[in-house]
Amino acid sequence: MTTSYRLPTASNAEAAAVPDARVFRDAVAAEAMRIRTLRSTYAFLAGGMAATLLGMLILFLLIRSFDGATATDRANYETADPTVVVMPFVMFFVGSIGAMSITTEFTTGTIGPGLLAVPRRRVLLGAKATVVGATGILTGLFFALLSFTGATLLLGDRPAPLNPWPDWTDALPTVISSTLVVMVVSIVALGLGTVLRSTASTLVTLGGLILVAPIFAHFLPTTWQLRFGSILLPNLAPQLAGGNHPYLLPPAAAAAVLAAYLAVTLGAGALTLSRRDVL
Amino acid sequence: MIEIKELTKRYGAAVAVDRLSFEVRPGTVTGFLGPNGAGKSTTLRIILGLHRPTSGEALIGNRRYEQIRRPLREVGAVLDADAAHPGRTAFDHLACLARGNGIGRARVAAVLEQAGLANVAHKRVGGFSLGMRQRLGIAGALLGDPAVILLDEPVNGLDAAGIRWIRSTLRSLAAEGRTVLLSSHLMSEMALTADRVLVIGRGRLLEDTSLTRLRSRFGRDVLVRSPRAAALARLLTELGASVATTRGGGLVAVGVDAPTIADAAASASIPLHELTPRSATLEDIYLDMTSEATEYRSASERAPRP
Repeated sequence: MTTSYRLPTASNAEAAAVPDARVFRDAVAAEAMRIRTLRSTYAFLAGGMAATLLGMLILFLLIRSFDGATATDRANYETADPTVVVMPFVMFFVGSIGAMSITTEFTTGTIGPGLLAVPRRRVLLGAKATVVGATGILTGLFFALLSFTGATLLLGDRPAPLNPWPDWTDALPTVISSTLVVMVVSIVALGLGTVLRSTASTLVTLGGLILVAPIFAHFLPTTWQLRFGSILLPNLAPQLAGGNHPYLLPPAAAAAVLAAYLAVTLGAGALTLSRRDVL
Repeated sequence: MIEIKELTKRYGAAVAVDRLSFEVRPGTVTGFLGPNGAGKSTTLRIILGLHRPTSGEALIGNRRYEQIRRPLREVGAVLDADAAHPGRTAFDHLACLARGNGIGRARVAAVLEQAGLANVAHKRVGGFSLGMRQRLGIAGALLGDPAVILLDEPVNGLDAAGIRWIRSTLRSLAAEGRTVLLSSHLMSEMALTADRVLVIGRGRLLEDTSLTRLRSRFGRDVLVRSPRAAALARLLTELGASVATTRGGGLVAVGVDAPTIADAAASASIPLHELTPRSATLEDIYLDMTSEATEYRSASERAPRP
């Protein structure tokens, strides 16, 4: 077989003058295509859906039990807030999409061709963070809306403390804050994956942060339980929304902690990706 | 044009590349040759910005690779045939790379066609043979119609048709004026593809020459055996030959041909038991050059060759 190429001339010379914004936009488009063509993305979305449906089932059982309880017992019921039941699992599954967007590249060696196409490492990581963050917002909003709509419909006009929102509009700040936390968790997972370079280690660390640490917090003395619990990622959602919650931080401080998670993990990812040899 | 200037790369105490300097010029296929562990892949990775050099620099068209904004349009490279996600289709794998460099989907289809993968374009890479994955890698290298092409051991795992395809593709790309650098640990492969070879061992440049010059420099010798080896050695020296003794007691004479040796031995009544004119193959030349620089060898490989 023979080739029929001409020697590259004009079009490639023009490529040298491409502005930074265009380079970044193309890198983002390429990353969006990567995340879309990865089968694990859909598996984790299915995981998020399963967690939401399971959470709804748990809320349904809780409400049934509430309905059959005496008035005294009802006063002791936990709130039927999906922030507690559903969103940590959604954070884990959607965060895993963020982690896999880089770890599969290291485990399959596709980071090589990826960096050959976009050799400036911070541009590559920035493009990944943009796509992973956008995925976190879209999917986080979808699952948050789904679970909060489901919870509102299931709760009907039942009273507090089971019903955390006397009116459905009272749920909106929590929906927004949960979405924001899902976005941050996704980018945190990307940062962790960039540092750790292994899918297994990253998902275990992510699971530890989102699902295990809150359980661990329960074993601490009460004051430490509150201090430690208040800075954990899933617990930042209610603190960010304000209103009734058992934690310590006002919304502004919760936002600062969330920003710190983002800066530390993404910064560590950028630093290791820039400094370490690849392949 | 690729320029390597005083390039050094250390991994802890190990020196992978040691003050390496060379140039790769357009219009030829340049072979980058060396035994396993010689530093070929490390050098290619530094050229492509994947590894950071400890000192020195590697430039493509006077720039470091990271400084190129649309690199696939200027440089095409294959480092590892397995560098595609097994869950993606061949088309999607290339489309992701192309999109990052503003290259359209029509071009993706065209390079898949050129690499003979058009009929499996929408199949997952996980089901591909090593040969098909090599072709996919090369299709990726051709995506941006680049002026510089770097391939690391591209014929590994290819069948005869695939090897022929690579050779003809590389030769025609060089004929169009492109810069082609091709690494291999097999001299036989280079003999059929390259015009010029850079031989490296233990990270250092051992040779930078054309294949023709290499062949002529390592000329013929004659292996000769006689029960009176010492007398024959004296006679050969008198004839102006340089003489070396092999392990089996034979003599290797350089600088004199077989008929001259036969006539002189007959005149001196020295019986000959063997008289073998030998021409060194490129493989022999290569092994001789790199024998000191080979990192991993068995005991039998370390023994001198007859």
